[in-house]
Amino acid sequence: MRLTRRTFLELAGSSAVYAFTFSCSGGAGDIDETAVAVSKEARYFVDYTEWLFIHKDGSVTAHTGRIDMGQGLKTVLSNVISQGLELPPDKVESVLGDTGTCPDDGPTEGSSATRIVGWGYWRACERIRDHLVERAAEVLDVSPKQLLYRDGAVVGREDPALRLAIGELADGTVHLATIDPEAPYTSKTPYVDRRTANVKGEAIVTGTLTYVGDLFPGECSYGAFLLPKYHTQLTRARSADFEAAANVPGVEHVERIGRTALAVGDSYRAVQRGLDAMAPRWKIPKRGRILDVEAEIRGGAMLEKTIEDRGDPEARFTTSDLTLAETYTTQYASQVPIETETAVAELEGDRATVWASTQAPFKARRRVAERLEIPEENVRIISMPVGGGFGVKVDTRAPHQAAQLARASGRRVKLVFSRAHQFVGRGRYKEAVVADITSGVSAGGKLVARTVDLYQDEGFGTTGTYDIQHVRTRLYRARMPARHGTMRGTSFVQTCFAVESHTDMLAEGAGIDPVEFRKRNVAMASFRPLLDACAEMIGYGRREVPELHGIGFAICHHGGRQLGAVAAEVAVNRASGVIRVERLIGAFDIGLVINLNTLTANTQGAMIWGLGYALFEEVHLDGHTAHTRSMSDYRIPRFSDEPPIELAFFSNEVKEPQPRGCGELPVIPTVGAIANAVYDAIGLRFYTLPLTPERVLTALRSK
Amino acid sequence: MLRAGRRHELRVNGTNVIVTVDSDEPLLWVLRDHLKLTGTKFGCGEGVCGACSVLIDGEAYRSCAVTVGEVASGEEIVTIEGLGRPGELSKLQTAFIEHTAFGCGYCTPGMIVTAEAFLSRNPRPSRAEIVGAMDDNLCRCASYPKIVDAIQSVAGTNGKTES
Repeated sequence: MRLTRRTFLELAGSSAVYAFTFSCSGGAGDIDETAVAVSKEARYFVDYTEWLFIHKDGSVTAHTGRIDMGQGLKTVLSNVISQGLELPPDKVESVLGDTGTCPDDGPTEGSSATRIVGWGYWRACERIRDHLVERAAEVLDVSPKQLLYRDGAVVGREDPALRLAIGELADGTVHLATIDPEAPYTSKTPYVDRRTANVKGEAIVTGTLTYVGDLFPGECSYGAFLLPKYHTQLTRARSADFEAAANVPGVEHVERIGRTALAVGDSYRAVQRGLDAMAPRWKIPKRGRILDVEAEIRGGAMLEKTIEDRGDPEARFTTSDLTLAETYTTQYASQVPIETETAVAELEGDRATVWASTQAPFKARRRVAERLEIPEENVRIISMPVGGGFGVKVDTRAPHQAAQLARASGRRVKLVFSRAHQFVGRGRYKEAVVADITSGVSAGGKLVARTVDLYQDEGFGTTGTYDIQHVRTRLYRARMPARHGTMRGTSFVQTCFAVESHTDMLAEGAGIDPVEFRKRNVAMASFRPLLDACAEMIGYGRREVPELHGIGFAICHHGGRQLGAVAAEVAVNRASGVIRVERLIGAFDIGLVINLNTLTANTQGAMIWGLGYALFEEVHLDGHTAHTRSMSDYRIPRFSDEPPIELAFFSNEVKEPQPRGCGELPVIPTVGAIANAVYDAIGLRFYTLPLTPERVLTALRSK
Repeated sequence: MLRAGRRHELRVNGTNVIVTVDSDEPLLWVLRDHLKLTGTKFGCGEGVCGACSVLIDGEAYRSCAVTVGEVASGEEIVTIEGLGRPGELSKLQTAFIEHTAFGCGYCTPGMIVTAEAFLSRNPRPSRAEIVGAMDDNLCRCASYPKIVDAIQSVAGTNGKTES
């Protein structure tokens, strides 16, 4: 359902509403002077992406189109609003990602939830406090100077008789504002409480947090689509035994639909059995065969754009003291949320309600409307807590497929992707990337020239980490043989691995310590203290490193001004080829920390992601076949992989008090740091990920 | 919506319950759909991830890999809902909150169930023993360091929190 004036009025009731948008382009950040009576305005609220309701009972509810997928947005909002408006946490509620009651605020991706939404609400609260003081002054007929905001009320500075609680200012008016989360922060109110617990904690640990799969137990059908045999999906079921499927006990409905078929039944297992009984025969696809990933990526690539072009790198290569040309490639990987893509759909005439685990509820709404061929305003997506997204739930298929199943069967249907469907049917792998890098270094160990050609299909990863006068970075759009999608760290992870591995080779070639080489060449001085912190914490150069152990470093920046450095210590087992990460150190310059608990948990987890990607995560595709079909075919990090992790967060909160985001950043340099530590340990450079025992053993034997 | 099947008597969270379902139905779906105990999660369906862990006579099992027919003879089944409730948390549940030992929280019930079983056998484990015991439970948010911290913090003090 599209937001209507009526919905808004029902929600607003007699509360005071602050509707605002975030604009990072230097918007005024002032509450609009002209308050609008709720009953008189029609559409303005749709254009404002955040709503904050102040209710008569003194409680506050925030509505945002963003969602919480474990990064802690609900906790961050609770922290920020309860501190910002000086209210007890139990007076603050938030509603996330319900297209029926929340404005469209775009997808939750790109490490932006805390940076934009969390901090934006803090800045909004700052303005709202001032505004409430002004309004109270009018009501009390005194000068605003006589009043101040404290503990959820406007009170007299001197006269204790002057007092209006915020609930008393809930008068059915709407106030519009544009908030710039990145505007200079001049408030004297420091952000203080950084250690509150996750607001969903109690529900999580008792198993009572309702994920979408937990809705309507025993009171809805299950449904699913056939899993195509081939990873390319460019195939169709030539034949399928619908009679056999329909005879499976519990199967309620089977139907051919497009290239595939669906089944609806009374249990998850009945549906799976029904689909198995169809025993479909699949047409072999004409395209999309994977034999040699690198050749296929290069083969179909076209120059998309030149990202950086300064000076004349080729001319400088010929005059450099050291020139090095290398190629790095990376693997296909999979997001593997423990909660597979899941949705429940219920249709009533030409209206659909879909409960979903999605990072982008408004995108899901469009796709449901398209599939059902009904207007978007007839579709309501209700976002449920996301049991891990990591990118794959930005364009989840479950909502519109569940809607199709509901329409086909005339029932309320729950779609829970099987693990095989998640791996193969879903695809959307983190893309394999090819990076050609050539660099020239002068006698003084200064990077003078670089060319980078990236073959990939999304983003352009890490550029601009180093200060290089002559540089050309080109992006080739590859015709990827496998379907790819977003995965935490997007293309930054792949390119940072390439650039940081290459950087160590340059440092060695120039005879300069890799930390020192980076410090000489970084584009931003803020990298230097991060590198120093990592070196210090891991004891670099101050202790004897055992044989077959090595220490490596990498740096990167992400999403504007998030800076990170990671140091890794690894041990290589010469007999088995197994690399064990012994320690990880991370130093991150990310601005203000809003909640240290969720930040630390996120950051440790992200570094362990880097570890998995560096050492073993890989989707195996061969010809048209996806060999990676189950959790036992795809190794993700586990408890025993976890090294001790030490973190340092840098920020200059006086000069720059806002948060800059940290959801993906720590994944990125961890990969290169591990690869560099392996080189330090055994003197072998790996140009392809992951660093599996087979690869290590082969390399050790041919050394 | 649920079809009738064979009658099975189960003992779940201290209560005797009767479900009529095929004997080879995985316990996971019986708990979730027939008994509405949805704290036990589906993750992989093949016993690899541990999100569906439950206690059967005090030992942690993967409920997606146990059929209802196998547990219908009086075994004591305990799910996450049987270990503590909002307002009456176990020490381990409290410790998970205090240590932020989760990201999205989806694997958490399986983690807590597995850890409860382990701590009842080994009340004072070392960090390495915790890692060894928990190693087959997977958490994609990789909250592993915090989970180990949480388990270690209650080691030797097992029991219900005063409420």
